[in-house]
Amino acid sequence: MSSDVIRTVDISRERVRIDDLAPRIARPALWAGAAGLAASVLLGLAGAESFFRAYLVNYGFFLALTLGALFFVLIHHATRASWSVAVRRIAEHFTGTLPMLAALSLVFLVPMVLGAPAAIHALYPWTDAAHVAGDPFLRQKTAYLNVPFFVIRLMVYFSVWCGLAQWFYTMSLRQDQSGEGALTLQMQKIAPPALIAYALTVTFAAVDLLMSLAPHWYSTIFGVYFFSGCALAFYCTLAITMYLLQGAGRLTGAITVEHYHDVGKFAFGFVVFWAYIAYSQYMLMWYANLPEETAWYHVRQQPPWLWFSLLLLFGHFMASFLVLISRLPKRRPPVLVAGAAWVLAMCWFDVFWLVLPHAEQNGVHGPPVAAKLHALDVLQCLTTLLGVGGLYVWRVVSRMGRTALLPQRDPRLEDSLAFENY
Amino acid sequence: MADVITTPRERHKPPAPPRTGRVAGLLAEFDSPEALKDAARKVREAGYTRWDAHAPYPVHGIDAAVGIRQTRLPWVVMGFGTLGCVTGLWLQWWTNATSYAQYPGVSTFLQGYDLIVSGKPFWSLPANIPIIFELTVLFAAAAATFGMLLANNLPLFSQPVFHCRRFMRVTTDGYYITIDASDPRFRAAPTADFLLAMHPVAVEQLEEPHTPAATPPVARRTFLFLSLLALIPLGLIAVARNSKSATPRIHPNQDMDNQVKYKAQQALPRFADGRAMRPPVGATPEQPLGLTVARGELYEDDHFYRGIVNGAFVTSFPTHRLEVPLNPALLRRGQERFNIYCAPCHGRDGSGNGIVNLRAVELSGTLGGAWVQAIDLTDDERRGRSHGHLFNSITNGIRTMPPYGDQIPPADRWAIVAYVRALQRSANATPADLPPEVQKEVQAR
Repeated sequence: MSSDVIRTVDISRERVRIDDLAPRIARPALWAGAAGLAASVLLGLAGAESFFRAYLVNYGFFLALTLGALFFVLIHHATRASWSVAVRRIAEHFTGTLPMLAALSLVFLVPMVLGAPAAIHALYPWTDAAHVAGDPFLRQKTAYLNVPFFVIRLMVYFSVWCGLAQWFYTMSLRQDQSGEGALTLQMQKIAPPALIAYALTVTFAAVDLLMSLAPHWYSTIFGVYFFSGCALAFYCTLAITMYLLQGAGRLTGAITVEHYHDVGKFAFGFVVFWAYIAYSQYMLMWYANLPEETAWYHVRQQPPWLWFSLLLLFGHFMASFLVLISRLPKRRPPVLVAGAAWVLAMCWFDVFWLVLPHAEQNGVHGPPVAAKLHALDVLQCLTTLLGVGGLYVWRVVSRMGRTALLPQRDPRLEDSLAFENY
Repeated sequence: MADVITTPRERHKPPAPPRTGRVAGLLAEFDSPEALKDAARKVREAGYTRWDAHAPYPVHGIDAAVGIRQTRLPWVVMGFGTLGCVTGLWLQWWTNATSYAQYPGVSTFLQGYDLIVSGKPFWSLPANIPIIFELTVLFAAAAATFGMLLANNLPLFSQPVFHCRRFMRVTTDGYYITIDASDPRFRAAPTADFLLAMHPVAVEQLEEPHTPAATPPVARRTFLFLSLLALIPLGLIAVARNSKSATPRIHPNQDMDNQVKYKAQQALPRFADGRAMRPPVGATPEQPLGLTVARGELYEDDHFYRGIVNGAFVTSFPTHRLEVPLNPALLRRGQERFNIYCAPCHGRDGSGNGIVNLRAVELSGTLGGAWVQAIDLTDDERRGRSHGHLFNSITNGIRTMPPYGDQIPPADRWAIVAYVRALQRSANATPADLPPEVQKEVQAR
């Protein structure tokens, strides 16, 4: 066999661990996260509602990213993919942040359970008993939208997610030790039912955490919309992480331009999928023109939220579409990573756009008007981004430091290393 | 030169194909993809241009070895996709956002028609996107399919290699290079030697087949015939659009449209005048409505039906009618009817700020429309109007307000008058109008 037939990567010579680098990144990230959260809490004294909204933006964004990673692992096994074996461990590390995210949900769950201050009432109007009593629509929804059931549901979601993430991670690590092929078969068997559980929990979680911010409004496609953002955010993050790891001299031979190309294809596909779902949601409501549905979009068509809506249309969809459509940028990692960073920022604005705009009562009997965007909101978004993001990086990197970055004894690893796009 | 240069061990001898004797090219078989790639590189380096490599599956690196450039088809697809997008936009703008006869000189066949759909604007992007999307995909997919066929010189009805028995293993385990005789560097013997030098399993001469590669005339004729058949519906439509016909339209789906009964204006020879419709009893050209009146349709009660007695508006409710008892139930009925028929313009409180009025004022401000502000029903002038006057305005309309006599029965019109009186009273209430116990409560505060 000549050398260019099957590209053989000598894994034994590959640098597959970052235990030397991990503490140097994780510790500053932890400090940055703590500082960010402390700053947010201090700013929260000036306006608690602003704190909770900004926190929910960043919490939602990093939760979406993590759920995207879980989807990557599940779909990888369900489809018996081989191209992605070389990068699967990265996704498994990202899913390891789920227990921390479960703990971070206490920031809004605890005030909610302890009688909900006014700021939580403003965020989730259905937590306010006095408001619900005066609102015939919310009275009808109390069987679902009430604090105890909300907390129970979140506990169910997180137990499913944490359970799945931990199980697949453990199996994968066990294979590193034993090299058993049977483990792969076992994971393939569990993945399809796990995907069903994933789809249900992600849909309901999206409805609970984000859609119930506007409890009158409903969209049956909202879960899919949130999911499209999850998957997209993770594919972008994956491309960036691969590039950063290779920049640090890790996995330089295992990850090739072919892997970037495939990640880029998925990112492009999900950009289009996101736009398709976003448009489907918009068009049906625009066409039916029912007040209870259009109110949600009406708020987002008033300045300043209008500018963010347009940013999503032109930045999230059109610019990303044009950047990623061609084969050229997908096979040039620096270009792809720049594009991925852009799309990832757009994913953040997408969650921002779901959470921040809301209608406020104008006077006692006046019609609701779109809330304004205050400087404090912007500042809070940045500090909570630093806070949640710092903690997130700390968890991901310190977990990466513990194991190899490559599932070295996966039976399909050879396939993945030799993978080429036609 | 022999046809078969090295004879392989073959279990089944192929039936001798008819020979034309004309050399189409040379076929070399290799035993592995690596050998194929090595050979391909050498053939390319030797400067051949009309040749190809064949393998049962895509071989990694074969593109570079053969020297195949990246296809330009994606740009064609992109161009056609954009064209489809623009076509979809233009089509919808032309058909729905331009008016009939807006552009004189354009055949009526091709004119647009601004049709209101669900109250949406004629030209509105959200509604257009699905069509734009579908046409983009259609144009791009068609460009990809036909562009691929065109770029590959397909369809090709005959290929010399397919007449070669040895080539059949290309779908299982054979790797081949063919060099076309039309290649400018092709010389039968030196090229064969050149191929043999690469240690193939075998080199074989390909013969020009009897069947021509061009589209067979029968296929061309069939295609032409089917194309002409496809024009027939278009022709029928064109004829139908430009001719008149006395026969009823073809009615394939009955949908209970034709029933055993007579409808207005139909003929029925049984009657002397031949009409299915019967005129009122005693109708003459001078008295077309005849001599009789249906029960309850004489409307002789001027007070109740018109609110005018002896040429003057009445000042009292028609108390002689059982339908108009002045009690809370009538007021509630009046409130309900008022909120349905009157409140859209006059507002629920009668002050003239109904939602239709607000929107119309807003539009006439920006678009220059002529809208007359709905009047305040509780002002002094309207309070001074007699009951009969208000009743008459509802019945026959006033200024730009349309008549409601056909929509609201007379008893309900009186109920509305009663409710308007209540609104007028409440809009001009004084503390003395409050019930005594409420007055006491107010004073206590």
